[in-house]
Amino acid sequence: MAPMELIIELLLMPLVAFVVGMMMVLMMRRIAAKLQRRIGPPFFQPLYDIVKLHSKQTQISHGLIHDIGIVMAMGGYIAAETLLPVPGMTGIAEKGGIITLLYLMMIPSLGLALGVGQCANPNGSIGIARALTAMLAYDIPLVIVIFGVAYAAGTTNLVDIIAVQQAGGFETWGAVQMPVLAIAGLIAMHASLGKQPFEIYIAPAEIATGPMVEMSGKYLGGLFVMQCFQLYTTSVLYVSLFLGGGTTWFDFLLKSFLVLAIPVSIAYLFPRYRTEDLLRLMWKWPVMLGLIGVAFVL
Amino acid sequence: MTLTLLDELLLFSGVTVLVAMLLGRRLPAGWMVTILYGIQLLALMKMAPLGYGGEPISSALTFEVMGQTLSWRFDALSWYFALITLGSALLSSWYACGEWEQRFRQSGGNLWLFHLAMTLNVFSMLILLASGDLLSLFIGWELVSWAGFLLMAMAGGVATKAAMRYITYAMAGAMAIFGGIALVYVSAGSLQYEAILTAASQMSTAHLWMLVILFGAGFGIKMGLMPFHLWQAPAYAETPGPGSAFLGAISSRMGLFAILLVLVKLFGIVNIDSLKIPFTLIDARDLLAWIAVFTIIFPTFTAMKQNDARQLLAWHGIGQGGYMLLGLVVADAMGAAGGLLHVFNHATYQAALFMAVTAVIHRTGTADLNKLGGLVVRMPLTFMVLLVGIIGLAGLPPMNGFVSKWLVYRSLLNEGMPLLFVAAVIGTLGTILSVYKLIHNIFLGQLRIEHDNVKEAPWSMMIPMLILAAIIFITGLLPGIPLAWVASVQQAVGLPVSDYTLGGVESASGSLDMIWVIGVLFAGFGIGALIFYFAGGRSKRVHQLDNYAGGHFLTADVRYQYSDNFYAGLMHLIGGWYRGSFLWLEQSVKSLVEFLSLGMQGLYRRANAEFYLLSTALFVIAWVVI
Repeated sequence: MAPMELIIELLLMPLVAFVVGMMMVLMMRRIAAKLQRRIGPPFFQPLYDIVKLHSKQTQISHGLIHDIGIVMAMGGYIAAETLLPVPGMTGIAEKGGIITLLYLMMIPSLGLALGVGQCANPNGSIGIARALTAMLAYDIPLVIVIFGVAYAAGTTNLVDIIAVQQAGGFETWGAVQMPVLAIAGLIAMHASLGKQPFEIYIAPAEIATGPMVEMSGKYLGGLFVMQCFQLYTTSVLYVSLFLGGGTTWFDFLLKSFLVLAIPVSIAYLFPRYRTEDLLRLMWKWPVMLGLIGVAFVL
Repeated sequence: MTLTLLDELLLFSGVTVLVAMLLGRRLPAGWMVTILYGIQLLALMKMAPLGYGGEPISSALTFEVMGQTLSWRFDALSWYFALITLGSALLSSWYACGEWEQRFRQSGGNLWLFHLAMTLNVFSMLILLASGDLLSLFIGWELVSWAGFLLMAMAGGVATKAAMRYITYAMAGAMAIFGGIALVYVSAGSLQYEAILTAASQMSTAHLWMLVILFGAGFGIKMGLMPFHLWQAPAYAETPGPGSAFLGAISSRMGLFAILLVLVKLFGIVNIDSLKIPFTLIDARDLLAWIAVFTIIFPTFTAMKQNDARQLLAWHGIGQGGYMLLGLVVADAMGAAGGLLHVFNHATYQAALFMAVTAVIHRTGTADLNKLGGLVVRMPLTFMVLLVGIIGLAGLPPMNGFVSKWLVYRSLLNEGMPLLFVAAVIGTLGTILSVYKLIHNIFLGQLRIEHDNVKEAPWSMMIPMLILAAIIFITGLLPGIPLAWVASVQQAVGLPVSDYTLGGVESASGSLDMIWVIGVLFAGFGIGALIFYFAGGRSKRVHQLDNYAGGHFLTADVRYQYSDNFYAGLMHLIGGWYRGSFLWLEQSVKSLVEFLSLGMQGLYRRANAEFYLLSTALFVIAWVVI
């Protein structure tokens, strides 16, 4: 590949992710509105929100690490997007693979954790402690699922994993070949989004929105951007692992939005779990399903 | 007799011990010793071809003892471990020079003993690494054990108690190793490596089992493998600062070196694989792998509960040893490379972490995670070193720990071992939780009023820390540098060699190129920074007490820091699983020994001649009858 082409891909992939991610935020809000019998926000609302937050007059910083944390939270996802193949663009997906992507996706969380820590607010710190605990809960079933998929495909290279699924049409999709793993993956993916009933680390009624308690203006704006990337990354990763990726942009986006709609719809129907209940749930059902699924694969 | 390069190295090392012993009471002793470590490192560098597949170098010195030849030699394996040993010794010793030394002396520490113990440790480790047969290996092993004891025990009080516990374990291990050596001699008729290598393939199953258990347990004790791990954390944590950095970096890896040499190289991983455990589906190699993952998980989650920064790090040191063993036991090209690379990586970040924590103790007088907080504004560079260190320890990109763990994961995936893979990841997740607690409770959150005047660590301590941080990052960016040494170690011990590049590993089933990954990551940070600093309004820095407190006003005397019972929600669920079973096990062994010795004592203290006569007679009758 020509270097110029690669650079354009590396720039385009995060940009696409951001735009699609904003539309996913919109979809999430529209679904919530439908379920709560409201009209919901207009099409450009996510963009308005980001612009508004960045241009606020009062921007409270609690120190350099607070700033760097937000930069890391955004930057980590921008980097992660280049490892996630989309139709027609693979970026550097072949130089990292799925394990690297999984670990690169922890960098934004680490940045956020550092930034929140610097704020010196116990609500924020409790939120981070809970968020990391949640990560310990859902990452265990998630890695079982990823193990199963990578072992079945015989590679950790996401491009190859997608190619294997596309080789025989619908029948070779991960979800058809490994349905048990696909269910386990869906549950783990839901928890990783941090939406109800798993939003233990936001918990506005208990810890005053946890990590966001000291975030104002562009700090909150940065987290908003991060959420766009997070929704995009999570659903696209699921589509790449189980739904055969995308051959065209149309079916790629259709699949991604549909996959995301499942946890989002469930989220607005449920209240919140306690931390230990999340752990118990995650370590029991998706882990069990995942192990059964892996046993089929081996 | 002409001196070989190896003789020069050992000679320099011996001279360093002498200098520390004779001139150690003079003031610039620390600098002298540090320079001498530097000279040793230069002598080691003259042997650098070893790290790139060069021929082994023998010592000119050999002994004949009871028909056995004792010899010393260096190959790629010895060179690799010696490099880590001398590197961590040089930097720890450098760190100790200057302000730390003065403070240590003022607070009543014995500086002479400290330098002597350090130099003895390095010297004995080099002797162990250079061993050319099982007898010289055993001599080196004993020297290392006792030198370690000296360094651990020197602080007195709690430290002596921890060191006594260590030496009890170490002696038990030495007994096992000695038994193993005797067994090898019986079956192979020689203690030379070449003779054992040929004899190993013809050994009976029972014989090999016995040897694996004896050597595995003996060397495993030094590594802190489950269930012999209890001694390590208290012993390392109580050693004076730079000493714990050195011990934490390399000391217990001597156990791994010996396992590599004896179990992997001499007995061969294939032979071990053929040892089936009756009535189960697993073999000796699976057993070792499971010991490795339990060594990863249990100490890591014990670390998470620690409230002393040094204890926390020392417990992680045990856990990380599990990754090294796991990679080696999987023993394919990637796994072995990962396990071996982790030895180097672990040494770099563990030393940096212990140094950073020692710097905090130097400035604030405490390592209690409930009595610190907010120090990032006072000690930003130390914070940065600790941050680099914990990213390495947790095994996240862009630091070097990621590469070695990635290799281990990949090998488990390739070999289709899902449970071991998941267990290894659980260890990593637990590490992330634990190290966030470490950095949060020391450097983030509220700065205490009594720490308002704390200064950054002095430069004498800062420079070695920054060098280590740089090494952690550079070997993360260009893992090909250490992977070249690792490849020649793999060759030397007869393991398959992976296809490495400067930026990582090349493989048909998924490659890794850290140069690209890190390049993109930093580009991402750059774009993030552009958005944050130029697309948003100007931010205003506020005081830490200018904070949301649910309508209350915060004042300096309000403790507004969340530190104790940090993972409360997690502990609700798993708190009950910490049962101290291994402590109980240790206690019961101790009680049993006490009981037996009491019984023995009672027997002959009574001096009852009739009783002895009667029992001897009964014994004889029983023997004759049966």
